[in-house]
Amino acid sequence: MDDSEKISRLSATPTRVSEQWFEEPHAEQLDHVWSPPRGFLGWLVTTNHKDIGRRYIVTAFIFFLLAGILALMMRIQLARPENHFLNPDVYNQIFTTHGTAMMFLFAVPIMEGFGLYFVPLMIGTRNVAFPRMNAFGYFVYLFGGLMLFGGLLTNTGPDAGWFAYVPLSGPQFSPGHRVDIWADMITLTEIPALVGAVEIITTVFKQRAPGMSLNRIPLFVWAQVITSFMVLFAMPSIMLASGALAMDRLKNVNTHFFNVAEGGDALLWQHLFWFFGHPEVYIIFIPGTGFVSTIVETFSRRKMFGYPAMVLSLIATAFIGFGLWVHHMFATPLPKLGQAFFTGASMLIAIPSGIQIFCWIATLATGKPKLKIPLLWVLGFIVVFVLGGMTGIVLASMSIDIQVHDTFFVVAHFHYVLIGGAVFPLFGALHYWFPKWTGRMLNRALAQWQFWLFFIGFNLTFFPMHILGFHGMTRRIYTYLPETGWGNLNLLATIGAATMGISVLLFLINVAVSRKSGALAGENPWGGSTLEWMTASPPPSYNFLHLPTVAGRCPAWENTPETPVVSGLSTTEREVLTTTILDAVPEHRYEISPDSIWPLVLALVVGLDLLWMIFTPWAYPIGVFVGLVVLAFWFWRGNEPGWVVEGIMSTPPKSKTEQLALKTEDAKAPSHH
Amino acid sequence: MLKHRAIIDVSGLPATVLDHRSPIWWGNTLLLAIETTMFALLVACYFYVRVVDFTVWPPPNGNAIPPVYNTAPDLPLPLLNLGILLVSLVPMIWADRACLKRDARAVKFGLTLCVLLGIAVIAIRFLEFKSLHFKWSDNAYASIIWTLVGLHLTHLVIATSENLIMTIWVFVKGLDDKHARDVRVTAVYWYWVGVIWVLLFITIWGGARWL
Repeated sequence: MDDSEKISRLSATPTRVSEQWFEEPHAEQLDHVWSPPRGFLGWLVTTNHKDIGRRYIVTAFIFFLLAGILALMMRIQLARPENHFLNPDVYNQIFTTHGTAMMFLFAVPIMEGFGLYFVPLMIGTRNVAFPRMNAFGYFVYLFGGLMLFGGLLTNTGPDAGWFAYVPLSGPQFSPGHRVDIWADMITLTEIPALVGAVEIITTVFKQRAPGMSLNRIPLFVWAQVITSFMVLFAMPSIMLASGALAMDRLKNVNTHFFNVAEGGDALLWQHLFWFFGHPEVYIIFIPGTGFVSTIVETFSRRKMFGYPAMVLSLIATAFIGFGLWVHHMFATPLPKLGQAFFTGASMLIAIPSGIQIFCWIATLATGKPKLKIPLLWVLGFIVVFVLGGMTGIVLASMSIDIQVHDTFFVVAHFHYVLIGGAVFPLFGALHYWFPKWTGRMLNRALAQWQFWLFFIGFNLTFFPMHILGFHGMTRRIYTYLPETGWGNLNLLATIGAATMGISVLLFLINVAVSRKSGALAGENPWGGSTLEWMTASPPPSYNFLHLPTVAGRCPAWENTPETPVVSGLSTTEREVLTTTILDAVPEHRYEISPDSIWPLVLALVVGLDLLWMIFTPWAYPIGVFVGLVVLAFWFWRGNEPGWVVEGIMSTPPKSKTEQLALKTEDAKAPSHH
Repeated sequence: MLKHRAIIDVSGLPATVLDHRSPIWWGNTLLLAIETTMFALLVACYFYVRVVDFTVWPPPNGNAIPPVYNTAPDLPLPLLNLGILLVSLVPMIWADRACLKRDARAVKFGLTLCVLLGIAVIAIRFLEFKSLHFKWSDNAYASIIWTLVGLHLTHLVIATSENLIMTIWVFVKGLDDKHARDVRVTAVYWYWVGVIWVLLFITIWGGARWL
């Protein structure tokens, strides 16, 4: 097909804007079609992206609290020299579980949860492209998280560090099942990350509102898509690494990927781990930039300065992010050329990050900023992240890196970039979108206390660690001698950690109180610019009564009552509109799958099977077989119109005419759940 | 309730499309991107240990009695199986094309043939492991090639099962638009299973001879 044909096909599309009388969809009718069944069963079978997204966020936040408690325990242990609060064995399990949970169970899933909740709303559609896969992803994630903390509670917590270097994590030096729990949990939690990435890319590519061409996609959505592409190419590396480690460790399998005695290679582990591990940093940070861009735009009361530069910076960050991993391995014997290349690349990545920072500052400087709580967190982010970025530039230099390698200087650096780059924007986002989830505002005074306690507590905790690192305090030691003189700074860090703990506690109180009795928010309390603010708070099951169209980058500021809406989608099936990838021209109607119990069943099979695989390799073929049987049911039953387990679960939806008849005699409508 | 305002009427748009415009096509393609990355990383491991950890490639097998010095994987049976796998792409292409014409008979025939050939490939694959001359636990080289071949076997099993269930569906329920789309997406997976094996075959069987 040549170009002229393509264009004529687009223009011959049967959709056109017209001013006319049309049948207004009934809100109750749409709600009936898009809601999961009521009650416990509905909770198990729901495939609504808002249910799944909210679950990810809440679950990940609980893991954040648990991992935070572990951090406090470590700080208590280190508060003074020769402390006996924790013994070395427990300390090892705690720092490993803390790092693992923060990275795999908190940071990645909570960012993805925000994406799964808000991407469909921001691009103007009713659900993600593969809702059942989405539900499956969540249950697998939950299983992985329970497995890790279950291990810790039964004294089987992983204890080889969050990057589980071989040979320490290998069968020779870590007998028992602690590292097996780690390896299989990693494999489990990467599945939902990958599923979520496929969901987000496909949904954004194919389901955007008519008119939302590539140059009108909100920066939050761009950040989510770019992150998802990084997940696609980074996560297989850790799955391969953890799978190979599990096979090396498994009795009766005993492969030798990392066994030097049989031609394996310990550095191969480091390469595989950091080929995932460095992009991981950006997988956490790029969604954070999406939060920041959204909040900066809303509270500056102007469109983002330098939108194309912002998008290109994100894409550049993603590419360069795959060329940095060796800077985690500067202390290993590497060719000089490699060292030079990775030093250069590590410095290079400061450029796109810098461009973004300047664009945010320019937007704030040329707008009329209103200092609401979310913006406060963004300002905190800029300060903390820039500080972390500066030590990053210091560490990118190989000669300095060798000096401070494995010291608390590194601990300070990565907490500045990770908490600064992800947790500060995250709290901003939680405050910003809380009214959209609950329909109510958070208490401002409490929120202000929370911010300042967190900001001060954070700097009290981590700034002294720079100095401790210079003084030679190494990572992962469970105690130190009084003669080292590290006691005072460590005590200061512990006081800071307690302050952060109080701050998070205030947040929990604020949420608990405000969700019941906060001020009512209405549709758009902040005057946000994106589509999610053009529907009720909380959004109805079907998101929008009429699917919107957009004519600019900030539809909530630009759309008028004259802006056309989409009409002609089914109101009796779960149907969404697909549009073309580049220009978002309407393309076809796409019926997405109904609620289903099979995602939960498959997640149980996958989870239990990986647990079983700690003990026997036969779990692999048996798991594949059982999984395929479940998938056959999933496919066979799920493709039938209506519901999965008719009769038990719900009555099948009525035909359109029947339902309209029911509407007229509303009182006699017992079939609605 | 009737209302008067500017609308885009999409009721005339098709309810199903059978190609890359469908979200399912994209979901499948992204899945294959993940799996391709997985294989690429394993192949990277193969070359990494070759360069860094081995002086003789492939390593001699001292565990065997008598010891085997030339351990390059045997060619005849794997080459035959590669041929069968590539031949199985033909009926799949046929079924794929027939979907566009909603020719249920041709789809049934093509899919059935493809499933039978797929089962043959899986059966022969189990015999192929013998031609590797090593057990997976002999050394790192053996671990890597066993994992490569085994992971591809997993894909063969999953893809053949997918083909099988599509075949049963078409026999039992016929070929509607949506399932014509599903068959076409399944076909993409099968093409990938064939093509990726050509690359892996060159790596494993060629790498043992040329590196």
